[in-house]
Amino acid sequence: MQATTRRAGQTPLEAIRGDRGSAALFGYLFVAPLILWLVITIALPLVYSVFLSFTDIGVVGTEGAFIGLDNYRRIVAEPEFRAAFVRSLVWAFGGGLVQIVLAFAAALTLNQAFRGQRFARTWIILSWIVPTIVIAIMWRWMLNATFGIVNYLITHLGLSAVPIDFLGTPQWAMPTLVLINAWRWFPFLALLILAGLQTIPEEYYQAAQIDGAGPVKRFFSITLPLLQPVLYVTGLIGTLWAFNIFDLIWLMTQGGPVSATETLPVLIYDRAFNGFALGEASTISVLLALFLLIYSVVFIRFVPAGETEGGVL
Amino acid sequence: MGTDQQMTKSLATGHSRRRVLQGAAALAMAAPMLRAARTMAQEKVQLVLWHMEQPPNRVQQFQKVLDAFNASQDGIEVKQQVQNWEDIYQKATSAIQAGRQPDLLFTIPDFTTAIKQTGAVQPVEDLVDAIAADHKFLEPAVQPYRYEDHTWAVPLYGMVQLLWYRKDMFEAAGLGRDAPKDWDQLREYAEKLTADGKFGIGITSSKHLYTDQEFYSFMITNGGKHLFAEDGKVDFDTPNNVKTLAFYKELSKFSPPGSSSWTWAEPQALLNTGQLAMAIEKGQFLGPFEEQSGRPAEDLGAAPIPWPPDGERGSIYYSNGVMLLSDDQAKRDATGEFLKFLFQPDTYAEFLLAEPGLFLPVTEDGDSPAWRQSPVLAKYPDAVDLLVEQSKYGYLFGFTRDKINPGIGQISAENMLAQVVQMAIVQDQTPEEAVAAGQKMMEAAAASVQPSS
Amino acid sequence: MARGVRRGLFALLVVGILAIVVVPFLWILLASFQPNRLLIQPSPRFSLAEMGLSNYENLQQAAQYFTYLRNSAVVALFSTLISLILAVLAAYSVYRLDYRGRQTLLRLLLITYVFPGVLLLIPLYQIFGRLNLIDNLLSLVIVNVTFAAPFCVWLLRGFFGAIPEGIEEAAALDGAGRMRILLTMIVPLTAPGLAATAIYTFILSWTEYMFASAFIIDETRKTLPVGLGAFIAQYYVDWGILAAAAIATAAPVVILFAFVGRYFVRGLTAGSGK
Repeated sequence: MQATTRRAGQTPLEAIRGDRGSAALFGYLFVAPLILWLVITIALPLVYSVFLSFTDIGVVGTEGAFIGLDNYRRIVAEPEFRAAFVRSLVWAFGGGLVQIVLAFAAALTLNQAFRGQRFARTWIILSWIVPTIVIAIMWRWMLNATFGIVNYLITHLGLSAVPIDFLGTPQWAMPTLVLINAWRWFPFLALLILAGLQTIPEEYYQAAQIDGAGPVKRFFSITLPLLQPVLYVTGLIGTLWAFNIFDLIWLMTQGGPVSATETLPVLIYDRAFNGFALGEASTISVLLALFLLIYSVVFIRFVPAGETEGGVL
Repeated sequence: MGTDQQMTKSLATGHSRRRVLQGAAALAMAAPMLRAARTMAQEKVQLVLWHMEQPPNRVQQFQKVLDAFNASQDGIEVKQQVQNWEDIYQKATSAIQAGRQPDLLFTIPDFTTAIKQTGAVQPVEDLVDAIAADHKFLEPAVQPYRYEDHTWAVPLYGMVQLLWYRKDMFEAAGLGRDAPKDWDQLREYAEKLTADGKFGIGITSSKHLYTDQEFYSFMITNGGKHLFAEDGKVDFDTPNNVKTLAFYKELSKFSPPGSSSWTWAEPQALLNTGQLAMAIEKGQFLGPFEEQSGRPAEDLGAAPIPWPPDGERGSIYYSNGVMLLSDDQAKRDATGEFLKFLFQPDTYAEFLLAEPGLFLPVTEDGDSPAWRQSPVLAKYPDAVDLLVEQSKYGYLFGFTRDKINPGIGQISAENMLAQVVQMAIVQDQTPEEAVAAGQKMMEAAAASVQPSS
Repeated sequence: MARGVRRGLFALLVVGILAIVVVPFLWILLASFQPNRLLIQPSPRFSLAEMGLSNYENLQQAAQYFTYLRNSAVVALFSTLISLILAVLAAYSVYRLDYRGRQTLLRLLLITYVFPGVLLLIPLYQIFGRLNLIDNLLSLVIVNVTFAAPFCVWLLRGFFGAIPEGIEEAAALDGAGRMRILLTMIVPLTAPGLAATAIYTFILSWTEYMFASAFIIDETRKTLPVGLGAFIAQYYVDWGILAAAAIATAAPVVILFAFVGRYFVRGLTAGSGK
């Protein structure tokens, strides 16, 4: 790489940061590899998917005819699609709420000084570092209606007279999966929040305490606003991640029973590979992506990002 | 198809320099395999075989047969790759689209109709005829693959369902050691056996192939074997099927909690631990019974699935076969050689014993002493007789007529029979509602697929 | 006295939170040493006398565990390396250099998460099919980088923001080039962040299931989660061997985390510590 030369009258810092032309050149140059990578692996396939959504292609690997917006008209009116969309909302936002509450509880706790703090901070993340398939096997066994420990405890503690088939009854399956997913993800979120908590200077709390603010008031007037940057990104990316989760649901219930856990990604997969309707599956994918895009734009537009160093996000 | 394979092929045909260059990045990781490929005899025909028989004992037994074949000549090498029923539709279709399909793919009739739409499935009537010259096939095994003027798979093994029951549990409940004879008695027994944390009969209601199979067997016993009318229209919403579903729902009261999320394993596990007295399943109950239950072989009862007074004996019957997905003549010839080897009665017995009792012979001379007198089957001579006998009363939904509605591929892939069962049992709809909804669903599936030309 | 009670309650809270996460794993760990016969009893009954490794022995016979392990390690290492390089370059650009459009770029990066993985499955399969990358570990590396790198950029935000400007100033005085500044000053200064980012990518790659199950066909190239996935939904589900398989799949990443986990946590928390 060439050395940056300092022009006359420039401070050294200007030479490196203020020189907009050079900054822009290197800026684009350095970010280019990643952007290029994403264009090839996301943008190109996306274009192809949009194309497929205008065709009536059935089995993967066969030919389809161009049918314009027919798929879109049909899918939007379809009860299965609408139900799956609602389920996706419950899955992402309902699950998000549970995660946030758990994560805050964990983060506030781990932010205290205590013996074993480092150990606790490291190992709380266990459920997140383990492959999904392990989570699925573990919970399927523990929740088994005949020989699972959870039902054993429930029936012996008198919480329910009969075992509950958590994954086999429609009213239980979704809440159960939401909780398992929350259980899986809240530690990661807790660590991000913990990271944010550490940026808040202790003096703020001391000053507030002198002013007579109680713990609740301190939480809402200091902690929450100053955590804004972290919550902003987790609110955005976390939601996008949640919407697109496929493997846990597929490995636990395959969308069942009676479609009770069939969120949009599950519907897409099922439609493409078991329903032999690749065109329709692509249409649902595109609709989901559109929805998430609108969600993101609205989010970025209206949710304050909070003050951070190094830019908005 | 493996990289090594690809390389061998490239080197052999000499035309894929470009492909090799394109894969240069991939090569960095595959260098050792390339070396291995070079040392291989280049003129050998490689056959890649995909199957979905995952349990380790089956894979090992298959390998034994393949090793024997590979050692028996030097022109052909067959290699197995194990897949999942759960995602084989996605894997197979994607692989075909990318031109990476296996040469041979195990199948069941409805899977064939689905994969056939990709155009990759080759007619194999010549291979079937060549084998039939020495080893006559049972007609029910070939029939579901024969349509549109061709035969689309070579049958390999049959599967059929029986009523399995614990004779010791029957005795303890004062029911003697004989199986129930008809529906009324089945219901009565199931109720009597449901007590003290034990359950009378396993009635699965999950969205799973197992539910399709168990419910369809009941449909057959009550005159519902034809899913399509003679004119090819969906004929599911019949008074008989409503009655069958009502009976199935009634029986589900005597099934353990969790039946609505069952897969293959649970009923067998529960029967073996003595928590379940009866279950309807295929022949895999024989192998592990003594070890897992701690009871002698005589305590495992087997009987035809009971039927109502005006009904008939019957069971679902799967003819499992193998499809040829390569249009290469050398591979076709090699497949013929391989199958010829496989169907020799002694080799075939080895192959069927990959799962004793589950895999039933599809050739007349396949019901051989070598098969019957194997360690597991020799302990259950009556059950083996019954399994072989029951095959004669076997049907498969969607394949009971001469003409096959290609919509059956989707009906099966989406487990529509199981969905109907779920509506009735899990969602507590009336049998009439559930069957009517099923009719609609199946009509939509049948309409969405044009008969392939 | 009140202080003691409060400390007691707090300890209980810490233990409670940890227990929620850890206890299920201990349960399945225990199960993996038990014969299946005991695991399918209606009331859970573990037997010390029957503790044994038979499930692991059976697993070892049934699955090519070490082959899967090696594949997973190869995929995770390459994914991490590439992701790290791309993310550091991009983070330096969007967080340290001032130019028009960088905010937009930043948003574009994060918006990549808008597209469902399932949506990309089919087209990527075709593209990789054409490039001869199906059934090749490289395809998994490519996909993992796509899904890890954008978030990695964000993870590095705090670290790049925390570097005092004077440092670059001093370097610029010496006439150092940007690449050299990046390599010799920024990279060392952001080391904890890089560690956290690397570990994040490694774990993401290690746990990835959907693409690995679609793109990999041959037994000898399966990753650990997919290899284990083949055990689910068989005719005989043997919970003993499944428990052993689950533990064997989780163990490598847990052991790794025992060594590097604190860098991950410290990295995450240190970055925004300024």
